Amino acid sequence: MKRKSQDESRLPDNTAVKQQQLPAFRLQLSANEILSGFFATGVFCLGMGIILLLSAKSISEVEINYTEKCASCAKLREDATHFDKECNCSISFYLPQKMEGNVYLYYKLYGFYQNLYRYILSRSNIQLVGTDLKDVRKCAPFKTSENGLPIAPCGAIANSIFNDTIVLLYNFNSSTHIKVPMVSSETAWWTDKYVKFQNPTYQNLSSAFAGTAKPPNWPKPVYELDEEDPGNNGFINDDFIVWMRTAAFPTFKKLYRRLHRIGNFTEGLPAGSYSFIINYNFPVSRFQGQKAVVLSTLTWSGGSSLFLGLAYLVTGAVTLLASFSMMAIHLKLKERKTFFLQS
Amino acid sequence: LDVKTSKYNALNFLPMNLFEQFQRLANAYFLFLLFLQLIPQISSLAWYTTVVPLMVVLSITAVKDAIDDMVKCWHSGIQGSLSCRIVTEKWMNVQVGDIIKLENNQIVTADILLLSSSEPYSLTYIETAELDGETNLKVKQAISVTSEMEDNLKLLSAFDGEVRCESPNNKLDKFTGILMYKGKNYLLNHDRLILRGCVIRNTDWCYGLVIFTGPDTKVMQNSGKSTFKRTHIDHLMNVLVLWIFLFLGSMCFLLAVGHYIWENNKGYYFQDYLPWEDYVTSSVFSATLIFWSYFIILNTMVPISLYVSVEIIRLGNSFYINWDQKMFYEPKNTPAQARTTTLNEELGQVKYVFSDKTGTLTQNIMIFNKCSINGMVYGMHVFLFSLKKVDFSYNKLADPKFSFYDKTLVEAVKKGNHWVHLFFLSLSLCHTVISEEKVEGELVYQAQSPDEGALVTAARNFGFVFRSRTSETIMVVEMGKMRIYQLLAILDFNNVRKRMSVIVRTPENRILLFCKGADTILCKLLHPSCGSLKDITMDHLDDFASDGLRTLMVAYRELDSAFFQDWSKKHSEACLSLENRENKISIVYEEIERDLMLLGATAIEDKLQDGVPETILTLNKAKIKIWVLTGDKQETAVNIAYACNIFEDEMDEIFIVEGNNDETVGGELRSAREKMKPDSLLESDPVNSYLATKPQPPFKIPEEVPNGSYGLIINGYSLAHALEGNLELELLRTACMCKGVICCRMTPLQKAQVVELVKKYKKAVTLAIGDGANDVSMIKVAHIGVGISGQEGMQAMLNSDYAFSQFRYLQRLLLVHGRWSYNRMCKFLSYFFYKNFAFTLVHVWYAFYSGFSAQTVYDTWFITFYNLVYTSLPVLGLSLFDQDVNETWSLRFPELYEPGQHNLYFNKKEFVKCLLHGIYSSFVLFFIPMGTVYNSVRKDGKEISDYQSFSLIVQTSLLCVVTMQVLSGREEGKEGGKIALETTYWTMISHVFTWGSLGFYFCILFFLYSDGLCLFFPDTFQFLGVARNTLNLPQMWLSVVLSMILCMLPVVGYQFLKPLFWPIIDRIHHCMRHPLPYPIRTKLKHTASRRSAYAFSHKQGFGALITSGKTMKAKLPKKNSFPYKR
Repeated sequence: MKRKSQDESRLPDNTAVKQQQLPAFRLQLSANEILSGFFATGVFCLGMGIILLLSAKSISEVEINYTEKCASCAKLREDATHFDKECNCSISFYLPQKMEGNVYLYYKLYGFYQNLYRYILSRSNIQLVGTDLKDVRKCAPFKTSENGLPIAPCGAIANSIFNDTIVLLYNFNSSTHIKVPMVSSETAWWTDKYVKFQNPTYQNLSSAFAGTAKPPNWPKPVYELDEEDPGNNGFINDDFIVWMRTAAFPTFKKLYRRLHRIGNFTEGLPAGSYSFIINYNFPVSRFQGQKAVVLSTLTWSGGSSLFLGLAYLVTGAVTLLASFSMMAIHLKLKERKTFFLQS
Repeated sequence: LDVKTSKYNALNFLPMNLFEQFQRLANAYFLFLLFLQLIPQISSLAWYTTVVPLMVVLSITAVKDAIDDMVKCWHSGIQGSLSCRIVTEKWMNVQVGDIIKLENNQIVTADILLLSSSEPYSLTYIETAELDGETNLKVKQAISVTSEMEDNLKLLSAFDGEVRCESPNNKLDKFTGILMYKGKNYLLNHDRLILRGCVIRNTDWCYGLVIFTGPDTKVMQNSGKSTFKRTHIDHLMNVLVLWIFLFLGSMCFLLAVGHYIWENNKGYYFQDYLPWEDYVTSSVFSATLIFWSYFIILNTMVPISLYVSVEIIRLGNSFYINWDQKMFYEPKNTPAQARTTTLNEELGQVKYVFSDKTGTLTQNIMIFNKCSINGMVYGMHVFLFSLKKVDFSYNKLADPKFSFYDKTLVEAVKKGNHWVHLFFLSLSLCHTVISEEKVEGELVYQAQSPDEGALVTAARNFGFVFRSRTSETIMVVEMGKMRIYQLLAILDFNNVRKRMSVIVRTPENRILLFCKGADTILCKLLHPSCGSLKDITMDHLDDFASDGLRTLMVAYRELDSAFFQDWSKKHSEACLSLENRENKISIVYEEIERDLMLLGATAIEDKLQDGVPETILTLNKAKIKIWVLTGDKQETAVNIAYACNIFEDEMDEIFIVEGNNDETVGGELRSAREKMKPDSLLESDPVNSYLATKPQPPFKIPEEVPNGSYGLIINGYSLAHALEGNLELELLRTACMCKGVICCRMTPLQKAQVVELVKKYKKAVTLAIGDGANDVSMIKVAHIGVGISGQEGMQAMLNSDYAFSQFRYLQRLLLVHGRWSYNRMCKFLSYFFYKNFAFTLVHVWYAFYSGFSAQTVYDTWFITFYNLVYTSLPVLGLSLFDQDVNETWSLRFPELYEPGQHNLYFNKKEFVKCLLHGIYSSFVLFFIPMGTVYNSVRKDGKEISDYQSFSLIVQTSLLCVVTMQVLSGREEGKEGGKIALETTYWTMISHVFTWGSLGFYFCILFFLYSDGLCLFFPDTFQFLGVARNTLNLPQMWLSVVLSMILCMLPVVGYQFLKPLFWPIIDRIHHCMRHPLPYPIRTKLKHTASRRSAYAFSHKQGFGALITSGKTMKAKLPKKNSFPYKR
């Protein structure tokens, strides 16, 4: 028995892939190219750093930590039985220079772990999108109320919502206190507000949530979050959506309100004396957390964080330094190297 | 015939394959992980993060296994088709006890007791090249009782003898047994047995009784155990995976401790917002759970796709070998073949090559190359004249395959030069060749040694055609005229005499003795009158020898009738004497073999395969040591060793070990070592003092440097002593110091033992190359077995890992394919480990900010796809297409091969570097994005520090950095200021893979985070809108760029500075600075006088057979005139 392929040639194909002869570009950098690359990178980083720092410096920001200042309220809140008692706290401050343009009001939490594994999971996206309010499978440990009703919105995230109310007063003079106009619209991502969070389709929101319980920490059910504005009520409440977008780190700030630029505040916040009236509901002292309010203006590069600017600046400086020392080493040791090769 | 049947069928494939796959540690580990993930209390990742990759990996491996199995099936099909035509059954159905018929030129595939044959006296000629590398014919003879049956099928089928014999063993030259037939016992010995692997020659048919089949046959018993070969990198990988396990375990432990502390300090008080689970009673318990949770999260450090990627890379690089046109051998129509796809990178690390001689280094063709007749040299200076073949058309009986280039010889023949005629007459008479003339004028010579065949063929072409012989006559066609010479005596060859003679009576009634033999012996027997001719001829012989040719001297003597009668009487007396017969005969022989008249000398070329000396020179330059292990005799082996540059004339000394007992062999080895390195016998020698500590058996003997270049020749029987116990280290140390080592007269098993010895104590990669069944054992034992295919036997090829048809392809296999495979594999491994460390360790940093709660940084889908989709193609592109230097450079600078031998490109040190690099990268990749999002907002005031945006930033930075890293990374010692990035070789495919992967990532991102998908499965795809909202942030891109700069610059800087600070000889660029040298050309030139001995087989010749008349064809009418003497 002879093989059939005997007469036909078994010569492998002469293709570039099979013969490993693909046309290729061989990347090789000379010393000069590398050194100039280093140099250019250094200059770029340095420049970028300076730009970022300058733009961050142009921002004015006021941060007031009210953990200490509202110690009495904090004390009250430590005891859960006093949940129905109101506690207000007023913090005055002086704005030496006006804050121009859009002004944003944030609340900032220290030591609050929104990124714990079980915490992040403890939500029901199916519920929040309005399709099935009864779906609380993933919401442990806040799935159902004591009487067995599914909680809406369920889960640890929703339950722990930041529920202090912050009002900014402009002390026009010692007697006139004007409430600074603030709006909560456009504080959440568009996709969250209009896609990810949807109320169940019912004519009446309260009847839509019939058969569900409010989260245990909440003083009122979700359909009463903002009874004045139906576009801000229920699951599509901006404060709620902002809270539900969990922070990556235990210290975070979240957008609370934007300055409504009308009347006295068309230009921004004028310089002068202000006070925050804080309705203190959110207990943080148990786990040594801290709370703060932040007022800030913004530029193209976002907030007042100096990190990127500094990082670029340092990287640039180090790179420049490195490129100079590399050049020195290169010039010095080149001789030695050729000697070695010859020997 | 051991037909390998396929392992799987359609039904059992899935369960069996899965079972096999889960036996692998890594796969079992991932199965274990999967079960861990199913425990809700500790599950920290969605189940699909493990299931999807595991499924992909398993199915790729399953497909590969299925293909392998099919290929194997196909190969065994080929083996089956090779088997011979048989009376009724296929070879695979042959069983012990069957009687089978074998025909001429068939390969025997079982050990068979010869019963009868077509030839008189039931002689059967066989060729045993497959077994021992000798190509001469051997004779087997059936015992008389069975030979009477001839081809009478009735008798044969009624044959009811009973054979009792030894149990299967590996002794090729011994067999004992008893045949009980018709109430009588007949002794059976080795002469009755035809072994598997032999080829029937010159015999029309023969019948035999199958004694051993399949694995019981002597060849198979010799071929050693077939073991599953794994590469050094495989072993290293297993060790590293173990290290990673340990690292993983300790990491998880630390994180669990961290969790414990956190729960105590923070978590306990955070219970208002996140109460502990019911089953968590204390923070210790919680920490225990977290240990396993982190074990799941950090599992990607043990890369699931590592093994499958490695297999794909090896498969790809194996295909390159199959596809290589430059390893395709046109005349035999055979491409190179990678029969194993798991050993590629080892080809780049070979340190020792063990080569067979016959059929591997040589073509096994003897060519009559030159001769010296009566002081005249013919065949010299062939290259100076035009390479035109001599026209032999005047001779109708000429062999068309024979070629000769010197016209003067033909002219001399035509002119009727007396000496030339006598010379060729002597060649046509003085031999034991048997001729066969099936078709009128088409002579086929069956020579006992190929040298003889070459000489007789030469005489035939020059017009002295040996046509046929009987036991008393030799028929020669002399220049067209038929003459019959009476054969009076054959004085046969043996190893001591090193010559043979015939005595013939010419038609003119002269009695002539023709003698040919080793020059050293023959020149002592010459008549004094030949003095000056002798000197001239000796000069010529020196020339021949220095050309690497095998030489013989030819002489004659005219005897007067009375003297011959007298001698003849003495001869028959000696033959009949019972005591000391051998000795007496040789004394009688010596009486007549003297006062010879010198005719001339012949030079025969044992033709090497093309390019063998050049290949060996190249391999030597690559610091690969080549040992020749041959079953052939010493003289021929040494001759070939010189011819192909294994031994050189410049060598300081060549040691010969031929002791017959342990002491002499040990002494010879020691004295050789003392010459090479005098201190190596002192106790102070580091190796000695190391051995004195009696290290545990798997130890490594360090390399020792001799003070010159030496060669070693060792014989099979000495080797048997040397391989025993305490001498094996002596042997190894001595042999490894020599530049070339020749082991001759080796049995197949000894070949394997030598390879095993080097493997055991040198811890170097060994490669065995051979073509015959006698090489199978060493091919199996060596790390890499290479079979020379396209020869008649398939045994070596079928057991090899790589097969091609020419020895010279070895350099391409090693220096080009091996080197590339090794480099690619190393680059792949370091990159692969790096990318997984950088990927996984980010979670560890994040643990410090997420309460050690086993929170991952990335989206679960990113974890699922990272290794399989996002990063697999660039790295595959790197490891399939990268060429650090092109093939021309690899071949011209064999020195580039060296780093592989020392495993410089990937070892434990490199691994630690990868780990550190990975830690650094993960640090940058975590903290730069963290700083960026921390306390930062977008320009419309919304915060960007949410978990999902952070995730996206980190994973995008990671992917950019890791993809950039494909372009950069480790390169061994670059010339000052010149670095090449990791992918130094950018083909279109690399571009497509790299940029395509990155682009693909963004496409997938938008798909996974799209409204539709997320709304359809809100709980599985949670990252709705993150891509849209985050990818347009300037901060994000600034952070990605900064991460890239910070990850890349140190690497580039390190590569720039490394060669400046550690100016190791940079191989690549050092080489490249010089112009391309010319390809190596070697010339066969040897100055020392080195004569090859008489190149016959080490066995007795056919002389006795011829004179006894047994060789005569049955068809000859004289059949009955030769009584059968037992």
